[in-house]
Amino acid sequence: MGVPVSQMWAVASYVLTQRLRGRARYPLVLMLEPLFRCNLACAGCGKIQYPPQILKKHLTVEQCLHAVEECGAPIVSIPGGEPLMYPEIGRLVEELVRRRKYVYLCTNALLLEEKLAAGVFTPSKYLSFSVHMDGLREEHDEAVCREGVYDRAVAAIREALRRGFRVTTNTTLFDGVSPLRVREFFDEMMDLGVEGMMLSPGYSYSKAPDQEHFLRRAKTHELFSRILSNATRRWRFNQSPLFLQFLMGKRDYECTPWGNPTYNMFGWQRPCYLLQEGYAESFQELLETTRWEHYGRKSGNPKCQDCMVHCGFEPTAVNETFTTWKGFRDTVRATVSGRL
Amino acid sequence: MDEERSLEGWTPEPSAELPLPRIIDLAFDYRGNTTVVKRDGTEVHGYIFNRSAEAPEPFIQMFDTDGAGPITIRYAEIRTVGFTGRDTAAGNSYAAWLERRKQEKAGKAPGGRAHDDHASSRR
Repeated sequence: MGVPVSQMWAVASYVLTQRLRGRARYPLVLMLEPLFRCNLACAGCGKIQYPPQILKKHLTVEQCLHAVEECGAPIVSIPGGEPLMYPEIGRLVEELVRRRKYVYLCTNALLLEEKLAAGVFTPSKYLSFSVHMDGLREEHDEAVCREGVYDRAVAAIREALRRGFRVTTNTTLFDGVSPLRVREFFDEMMDLGVEGMMLSPGYSYSKAPDQEHFLRRAKTHELFSRILSNATRRWRFNQSPLFLQFLMGKRDYECTPWGNPTYNMFGWQRPCYLLQEGYAESFQELLETTRWEHYGRKSGNPKCQDCMVHCGFEPTAVNETFTTWKGFRDTVRATVSGRL
Repeated sequence: MDEERSLEGWTPEPSAELPLPRIIDLAFDYRGNTTVVKRDGTEVHGYIFNRSAEAPEPFIQMFDTDGAGPITIRYAEIRTVGFTGRDTAAGNSYAAWLERRKQEKAGKAPGGRAHDDHASSRR
């Protein structure tokens, strides 16, 4: 598996500390969206569909850091929008690294080579570029609605690795993908030398335009089983093996919607990264006033029934690893053997 | 609601069948600017990003068309909300994109646009 030991240790000690303090709900990864602006217009993405004055706005670094302090999660993921279009991305990352936060900068990589050449970033064990790659050239360019993006991203990954940066990939798998092609894609990413890959099934945001294209739960199990069964040992995943087993239908988890809270220019998003049902002014308000019992599969909420997305279920998997012996044993076993 | 059917251009009148809180819910889901018509006759133009019908005093929050805000307006002050700005989600479905792409490949529509990586793709 592709998660460095120091990062695993940071997450483990954080989770155990929260448990010892008796906190029932605690975040693992802050999803920090400094802007919604993007230089791509992917058909499945509801994040960029805003009026011009909203797309022009962005958070200040100080607002971002305040959110990070307020939340306290050991990992900060910076999606968006395209974070490399954020004018102060260098300073933001520098401040987060100084605070020893593990940063995943989620990018389509179109501007990455330019930013690297300009010296905007310094390699650090705390910083990983998480490059959006939805498959091999044909599939990726189709997913992002522009030709040539895959080749640009591959070139940027090579350059980032050459300069000593941590690089991972994040892949959203939609209905209709070929398991064989996905497996070829994994091989290609390993040949490139990325540290690890992150996978998630697609999901219909309540406002996303592409309602029909996303996976349903049963199909998700089948798809991920076909992709991940007999996984080769060289594939490295930068995420919990228990989460991957959940995607394959080998585990049954309930959602942990507060595990990956989202902060953006509107505030703290209720209840999760995918559903936009309102905003709280503070993280504490989010925790205390969101009706969590209305979300997750057990709640019966129809919006949650088919969801298996990483932002809700990976925190559940991570919690199982670090709070139960069985979860810890199964994680170690999958990590050592490379078998899911 | 039908994802492809846009509310753009609609200014509903609150009624028993369509009460104001429902209109506000629709406006909260709308991906474009709106016009909030207040009971005193004034109007506020902008994007509604938040609403709370369960607060002791229900309210909406919005950024105006210059991006200033957040502006908080109580439900009690609102007469109705008009869907006056362009619906940025309309026509941007995956299916619509696939159809455009098919036409481009068939040479029926112009393709091969130049892209500026620093520019937003939705303006």
